[in-house]
Amino acid sequence: MAEWEPVLLANVHRPNSEKIGTYLAHGGYQALRKALSMSPEAVVAEVKASGLRGRGGAGFPTGVKWGFLPPDAPVKYLAVNTDEGEPGTFKDRLIVERDPHAILEGVIIAAYAIGAHRAFVYIRGEFFLGVKRWIKAIADAYQHGFLGKDILGSGFDLDVSVHRGAGAYICGEETAMLESLEGKRGQPRLKPPYPAQVGLWGRPTIVQNVETLANVPHIILRGAAWYASIGTEQSKGPKIFCVSGHVNRPGNYELPLGTPLREIIEKYAGGVRYGRHIKAVIPGGVSTPMLTARQIDVPMAFETLAAAGSALGTGAVIVMDETTDMVEVARRITDFFVHESCGACVPCRLGGFRMLERLEAIARGRGRPDDLAKLESLARGISGLTFCPLGTGMCEPVLSGLALYRDEFVARLNTAAKR
Amino acid sequence: MPDQVTLTIDDVKVTVPAGTLVVDAAKAAGIDIPVFCSHPKLDPLGACRMCLVEFVGSRGSRLDTACTVRVAEGMAVRTNTEQVKAVREANLGFILINHPLDCPICDKGGECPLQDQTMAYGPGVSQFVEPKRHKNKRYPISDLILLDQERCILCWRCIRYLEEWEDKPQLGLFERGGETMIDTFPGQPVDAKTSGSIIDICPVGALTNRVARFRYRPWELKKTPSVCNHCPVGCNLRLDERVHALRRIVARENMAVNDEWICDKGRFVHQFVDHPERLKKPLVRDAQRGTLREATWDEALDRVVEKLGALVEANGPNTVGGIASPRVSNEAAYLFQKFFRALVGTNNVDFAGGSAVRAWPTGLSAITDIARSDLIVLVGFDPSEAAPLLAVHIKRVVLRKGAKLLIIHPRRIELAKYPGAYLPVLPGNEAALLGELAAAVQASKGVRGQEARGKQAARNPQSPGPGPQYPDVVALLAAAKSPLFIYGPDVARGERGRATVAALLNLATALGQGDKLAYIGAGANEQGVRDMGLLPDTLPGYAPVSDAAVRERLGKLWGLQPPAEAGQTCARMIGGGVKGLFVMGDNLAALPAVAEALRKLDFLVVQDLFLTETAQLADVVLPACSFAEADGTYTNLERRVQRGPQGIRAVGESKADWAILTALAEKWLAAEGRGDRSGVAPAAAPELPDWKRKKRKAKTGPAAKPWNYPTAQSVLEEIGKAVPFYATMRWEALGEGGLQWSARDLRVGVRDSGLSNTQSPTSNPRPGEFLLVSSPLFWDASLFMQYAADQVRQLIPAPFVALNPADLATAKLAEGSQMTLTSPHGSVILTLKADASVQPGTVWIPATLPGLPAETLGGGRGEPISVVVR
Repeated sequence: MAEWEPVLLANVHRPNSEKIGTYLAHGGYQALRKALSMSPEAVVAEVKASGLRGRGGAGFPTGVKWGFLPPDAPVKYLAVNTDEGEPGTFKDRLIVERDPHAILEGVIIAAYAIGAHRAFVYIRGEFFLGVKRWIKAIADAYQHGFLGKDILGSGFDLDVSVHRGAGAYICGEETAMLESLEGKRGQPRLKPPYPAQVGLWGRPTIVQNVETLANVPHIILRGAAWYASIGTEQSKGPKIFCVSGHVNRPGNYELPLGTPLREIIEKYAGGVRYGRHIKAVIPGGVSTPMLTARQIDVPMAFETLAAAGSALGTGAVIVMDETTDMVEVARRITDFFVHESCGACVPCRLGGFRMLERLEAIARGRGRPDDLAKLESLARGISGLTFCPLGTGMCEPVLSGLALYRDEFVARLNTAAKR
Repeated sequence: MPDQVTLTIDDVKVTVPAGTLVVDAAKAAGIDIPVFCSHPKLDPLGACRMCLVEFVGSRGSRLDTACTVRVAEGMAVRTNTEQVKAVREANLGFILINHPLDCPICDKGGECPLQDQTMAYGPGVSQFVEPKRHKNKRYPISDLILLDQERCILCWRCIRYLEEWEDKPQLGLFERGGETMIDTFPGQPVDAKTSGSIIDICPVGALTNRVARFRYRPWELKKTPSVCNHCPVGCNLRLDERVHALRRIVARENMAVNDEWICDKGRFVHQFVDHPERLKKPLVRDAQRGTLREATWDEALDRVVEKLGALVEANGPNTVGGIASPRVSNEAAYLFQKFFRALVGTNNVDFAGGSAVRAWPTGLSAITDIARSDLIVLVGFDPSEAAPLLAVHIKRVVLRKGAKLLIIHPRRIELAKYPGAYLPVLPGNEAALLGELAAAVQASKGVRGQEARGKQAARNPQSPGPGPQYPDVVALLAAAKSPLFIYGPDVARGERGRATVAALLNLATALGQGDKLAYIGAGANEQGVRDMGLLPDTLPGYAPVSDAAVRERLGKLWGLQPPAEAGQTCARMIGGGVKGLFVMGDNLAALPAVAEALRKLDFLVVQDLFLTETAQLADVVLPACSFAEADGTYTNLERRVQRGPQGIRAVGESKADWAILTALAEKWLAAEGRGDRSGVAPAAAPELPDWKRKKRKAKTGPAAKPWNYPTAQSVLEEIGKAVPFYATMRWEALGEGGLQWSARDLRVGVRDSGLSNTQSPTSNPRPGEFLLVSSPLFWDASLFMQYAADQVRQLIPAPFVALNPADLATAKLAEGSQMTLTSPHGSVILTLKADASVQPGTVWIPATLPGLPAETLGGGRGEPISVVVR
């Protein structure tokens, strides 16, 4: 495969990349003009044809989701998920801070396509610069007539506003985000009904991740056929991979979906530091199951990772070398999820902290002989049984850690027994 | 979508309506799926994960929550697989991680779903040895409810009840993850008026009733299904008795009345039943010392017969009368009026708020009609304060079905925040406003309306024309397909009340909804006592006393006919119209002016629970039973006759109202020397005083039939003969849900009851004066509140007067200052409050505050009262 010429990250390294002038100078808002000349249905059809799948983690086909909106609903909303919180993930932040207009253009096109006249940007509260950049971008877009009444003479109206989150991971879940946008406690809603039917303040709402929307202008400008030619059978287009952990050059790498994990780590991220060997890789953020060193030839695509027993998630690749303490990994990740559990449903709220207690004991060398069995039984009582996927994500590091590196846990228990 | 869906649950085929939740379908199939967060009256949540069951599909089975998944045709569900059992065990294990095992001292122990489910589905032993988390115990979320955050399993039922039924999101989840707990918002305790419902639906002992906690163990209680005696809704409740004490009251489901909720008065205000100050023996005024002393029933009743009889003999039957309370049972009310009509020979019977109020006799068409209406017109009636369960039903139809409210009230009542319209009206101007609305509605209805308006204008030349003032309101009214028109006693008193009700009827009729007019009274059994004829001008069943045919029919039943001329009203009897008065269950003398009047009586009998201000003035005090101690039926505001059976043993020597009246009548008859079969007569006959012998001579013709009522049920049987539409109301037939009498059965002179659109003068406050508004307040100082438990009594507000903040500013008055309020009727000193819900130009002094300030100033007389504030 030829070297990939970045599309989503084409602008981010330019000086003053966040300014509307820079964006316009490099072909910005051309896709919007083109989209506004098309019918909304044609825009939806184009996105559907492109095969674009959501980049927030679930990978739901974007065009299909847009088609779920009840056509006769008087009020529809678009909600932009900038609540990037999955540990290991830092792609949305880069785009928001360095190229906000690229997303905004996608927002306007998406809103036009689905007939929303109001879009809400929900942004993680800690993204201080991102908030500023979003607000500035929106203000500039209003100035240039890309937002507000009668956008570019098309007769289409759109208002966009920014809402800051208050620091809960769960608000990255789309329905929890809607709750939070409504000013309520951030916890997931019962699905169905899905937001496309009953969303923000009861209105049909499309929730999209920032990276997903950043793809939309390119699809409109270059066509669905071009987009669909990138990637694999079921995973189309470019994807930003956030590589972190024990690699020489951690960072965001935009590559076509289907790029092998090994290539991402070795070619782009500069390989494992100090020439060490890989022990494990988390391919899509901490809620996806770990892969072992033997599995890293897997192509990074939705279907291939699913076949490998993991998931593409947000494309956050966390590389762990041979020196990594897997008990500590499990403890650290579980600690995160237990801290972020919203407390709404029983297994996640109560099972999680019992799991953490056992992991902490094992990690400190105070484990009891039956702890591994207990951990597994706890995880089995949580995984797949919770209200939202957070509880299941909580069990992945424990279950895959125990499955793949059980000897390390046992060794730690044995030291405990000797003391 | 088909209406019915068939699915299989554990190989049992069950057919249920489409849209049913799987958990409910399982219940229908007789299969138990354990739940905590799921509740049939609350929206699905899916938080407790207890109800996870296997859904078997073509691609294998998956686990999902039965409480959130709706049935589908051909669905196959398994609730008894190994996987499901394992999940339940794991989940119960999780729930019990932090749940304290203090069942032996927990109020819920014995009726606790968590206990039951742990026994049925839980693991035998805990796999956790770690310490439990500690949170707040005995944590007050209101003056009446305590929260134990350790026992709480976070099912959110309480949160959801307050949100979904009360529209008062006053409880919430705080903190996160394992630290999550339920709490109130800072400085904002739960004040929903049906807040106690959350205790009933709590699946553990996390929410406890501060009045009842630690006073019972559930398995020791004797449980009696009864009805509430606080307001005319007649909520169904259960009396829980142990060792002759009423330990607690909980709600009982009746979908036609109260769903399964009751208000906090119904739940928490019951200590009056076994209060230590209850009257336990009859009292008579000692001839020498002039004080009340204990007496036997015989002595007390003989004294009544003798003194009342002497007054009748000396001055004629119309110089004695009776005033009862609209709380008393149908049986008591019926016998009370029968005693005066048949034995004494006078129509002098009434109740406070009885004949003075223009009450539409058929009440609400049905409480369930609220859920079917799209517009509810409330005139001078505040359900939130006067009948909270109605407010709950109204909020439900507004929130769930988009119904609108048109509120005409001198105060911006709580319900005025909902969609629709609020028309502020000065007290006394209701009729004029309704008249304008009716005219505007008719004008908007085109040609037919033109004619109608012509007629109305002819009848009412000064009627303000169809003004353009209320186009939105007229549109609201015109758009309504199934409106309800509800008014309360505050706007229906006196001459102005007549005009208001006439105007309201005109309005309803103009919209073709004349049968949707409802009066909701103040007394718990107000509908019933009116049905029983506890009014000076109508006989049992609403026939006017002038109706000779009905008098004759009753004469056959009673032996003696009631007089043909109307009796004295309550106000006249108090105001000197009678020399002897029998007061049953009403503390009239709480108002000093009335006490003054009662002192002038020659003879006063009071039958009550306590030595009230009125009883202290009495010559004979008869100790009566409360609603909990006696069988009786009560008729609620939708004409539903409901049973209130005896739930606890009578306190002391107190007797049921009907039993006292029966004993009194037996003595009266014995004194007259006839109609007696009980053996009392021979004992009393030899010493017949002069008046009795004379009376016996004077009275010729038919004799009174004996009062042979061994039970309340036998009284009800006679009521069925006296009141045609009660003919089918037999104790057994009423069951636990009660029976409604049909409004169509009431044809007797009601539809043309002389209501006409009379011109009503409008009132406006003079400069420097305010018009008095005395609408009710939920927590007031009524008698039962005064004898309630401490936790409840502290809710009685200190007397206050509320003014609009703008008026306070204009008059340079400071909130919290003590002001003297003076009206033509009296003067009171009250603390000033600012309240934006009070209209400028008015002062709001709620009815029945301590010391009765509103009543002292003349509130509740049906005429606008001007008040000067100094």
